[in-house]
Amino acid sequence: MTPMLALLQQAVTDTTGAYGHFPGVGGRGAVWVAAEVHLMFAAFVLGVPMFAVITELIGIVSKDEKYDKLSHEFTRLLVFAYSATALWGAMLLFALTTLYPKFWAHMTKIFSVSMWIYVSLFFVESFTLYLYYYGWERWQFGRGKWFHWGLGVLLNVWGTTVMLIANGWLTYMMSPPTGATAEGLPKGVTMWNAIANATWIPINIHRLIANAVFGGAIVAAYAAYRFLAAKTPEERAHYDWMGYVGNFIAISTFIVLPFAGYWLGREIYQYNQQMGITMMGGFMSWLWIVQAVLIGVLFLCANYYLWLGMARIPGAERFVPYTKWMLLLLIVCWIAWSTPHTMIATRDELVSMGGAHHPFLNVLGVMSAKNTAVNLMILTTFLSFLIYRRANKESVVPWARTGTLIQGAMFVIAAAVVLFYGVYGYFVEAIVRIGFSVYQVGAVLMCILGVSIIDAFIGRGARSRGEIRWGQMPERSQYALFVLAVTFTWLMGLMGFARSGIRQHWHVWEVMRDTSPDAFTPALGYAANMISLCVLIFLSLVAFIFWLGGLAERASHAVAPEPHGVAIPPGIAVARPGAAPVTGD
Amino acid sequence: MWKTNLKVLAIALLVVGFYTTVAHIIPQLQSEVPEALALGSGVTPEALVAAGEKIYNGAGGCTACHGLGTRAPNLITDYKGQGAVGARCGTRKPGMACKAYLYESLTQPQAYIVQGFDPIMPDMRKQLSDDQIWAAVAFLESQGGEVDVTGEDIAKSAPAKGAAPAPTGPAMTATLDPVALYSEKGCIGCHQMDGKGGAVGPSWDHIGSRRSAASIRRKIIDPKSDTTKGFEKFAGMMPATFGQMLTAAQLEALVTFLANKK
Repeated sequence: MTPMLALLQQAVTDTTGAYGHFPGVGGRGAVWVAAEVHLMFAAFVLGVPMFAVITELIGIVSKDEKYDKLSHEFTRLLVFAYSATALWGAMLLFALTTLYPKFWAHMTKIFSVSMWIYVSLFFVESFTLYLYYYGWERWQFGRGKWFHWGLGVLLNVWGTTVMLIANGWLTYMMSPPTGATAEGLPKGVTMWNAIANATWIPINIHRLIANAVFGGAIVAAYAAYRFLAAKTPEERAHYDWMGYVGNFIAISTFIVLPFAGYWLGREIYQYNQQMGITMMGGFMSWLWIVQAVLIGVLFLCANYYLWLGMARIPGAERFVPYTKWMLLLLIVCWIAWSTPHTMIATRDELVSMGGAHHPFLNVLGVMSAKNTAVNLMILTTFLSFLIYRRANKESVVPWARTGTLIQGAMFVIAAAVVLFYGVYGYFVEAIVRIGFSVYQVGAVLMCILGVSIIDAFIGRGARSRGEIRWGQMPERSQYALFVLAVTFTWLMGLMGFARSGIRQHWHVWEVMRDTSPDAFTPALGYAANMISLCVLIFLSLVAFIFWLGGLAERASHAVAPEPHGVAIPPGIAVARPGAAPVTGD
Repeated sequence: MWKTNLKVLAIALLVVGFYTTVAHIIPQLQSEVPEALALGSGVTPEALVAAGEKIYNGAGGCTACHGLGTRAPNLITDYKGQGAVGARCGTRKPGMACKAYLYESLTQPQAYIVQGFDPIMPDMRKQLSDDQIWAAVAFLESQGGEVDVTGEDIAKSAPAKGAAPAPTGPAMTATLDPVALYSEKGCIGCHQMDGKGGAVGPSWDHIGSRRSAASIRRKIIDPKSDTTKGFEKFAGMMPATFGQMLTAAQLEALVTFLANKK
């Protein structure tokens, strides 16, 4: 039977019972919202435990109480967010069973065993979280603390396993194993083959990193809100520091995310070239321009936040003159990255352009320019982190000057490699040019690694030029953190649309066709409306959770009041108006 | 505090609004589902061309590659001074008329690869019905050439009611000459042999010293079974339809021939 005939047969078999109706946004819209909001919460509850255990470990090893308190505060947000994740997951399940019963029957036929495991793990994960959170005081010291930390590790293990299972289902829809049909899997192909499909591992890696990024951004936004609402200098200092840590985690993990994305894209191409072309060069090609706009905002805001933060670091003045050049470079790169090039065009558009490419924008739009731009933006952001980190330090090692010169040389070499291959790319065939991106990325990663190692040694025993004046931060810096959080959330929605949309009119790529009235893949305008709706629902609920977190804290303070609002952990310098900085102990 | 709350809300709405606006001001392209056509034997060329244009710009997804000048040859604009596709299609393959060439390009895209391009064109039978493919052929012919697709072409290629579905590959010939099969079945498009052919797949010269007969047979019938080292980027490109395109005797003749090329 020819593939077309089989599809026609499927369309005939699909009676009205295959799809349900949802008022207002339609069946697809309802599933879209439920899935996206569920995913946003899931990313949050998977990302936050990652650095909750890391910060708790830092607290245990360094015996610095402020890290333990930070970890505890992260976890308090988790307890509320877990319920929201489960609720939206249930909504998604009901939406799928009532609106896409035939498709869901297909999925349950293949994945039923993994679904039971998934639910069981969710239970185990929830109880581990309750133990982790409510046992914080009980297992505070000695061996008990290590046991408590072990619970945090377990929480991550359960959460990650749950994610891996769900990723198996969704990647199956993109890249099903050979021989799969609308009736199920052929003999000899197991559920494991369907889970461990061609795009499963790259999605797992990509999502793990993205969850850390997302968790960091949301925590930073929470800290920003608490900073703005703070009544005392101690509170401002604490939440200023928390916002910095959240932002640091978000941006440092975000820098490696494009590499994971590149791998995922490569696997999609390898699995099915047509799907890859649809994603990068087909009707979805404009999506990457929107993505470039968002990522440009992320880089600008992250750098802006760091530059503002330097005002509270004694010794940072010596680096301030460089920031305007860094800003200029970031903006130039952003413009290059956001410039369209080989876009899908209709006949009329081609005729009006006089060819396939725009006569002027052609030069900026090619991948050579874009790869160069993004790598330079990453290098610039890393440089911002570096000078922020070194601002109040004065190295005491005798080779400090040589080390700094080597670091500078590393930056120059990395930038030169990026620029060289960026320009050379204009003179070679596309197939050769694609390989150049590996050299560019490699140079940037080597620079980040090499410079960080040298910096760790240069900073050993360094003299302080003065304590960081935590809390002495202009309010606009906190709004930058909000912009980052909203942008990360919107970006997640956009990338979700890209991943899901490349299947076009297939529930399961070339296996089960979507024959509903919503089978077409909508244009970006409609998709943007849906993404914005999901983002606003998510952010409203997150705001509610933050408020609940504040209520819970006030309740605990009512039982055991602290003299100055939030206790200032040792090691944090507090900025008081008109007073010299003091440490919080 | 309410002032702060309002400020935060305004920032969130502003950012969301900005991204939504950006997404609205760029071209709005929607991916349509391939529409089922009902083109009878009396269909006019105009109706075929109109339906074909819709497929070309929509469901066929042709504009993802054709027209950019980099991934695939331009079809509706000039290509290297040879005119649009309707003007040049009759001279692409010696002895093959425009209509046959275009139909072959859509249904067996690996049979002939235009020099300078990779064989990335998918077999459109996976996405389009036969009348949709003929409509696309008619539209492409209309770009600088004469439309000679008729309802009879559609009727001829459609599977007869009650009959077994037509094989998805090209018409089977009786030849058992492996060198003839090399050209006829389109292997030449990707595999080099004696200085001829494309370089997308591994060369057939000395292939017998690299693969056993069983390995060659398995690779022809199930191209995804393994990937030759150095050709990973072309993995999945070899059509999985050769098992249907060759008779058992042809397959064995080809396997024996290749296994002996030490």
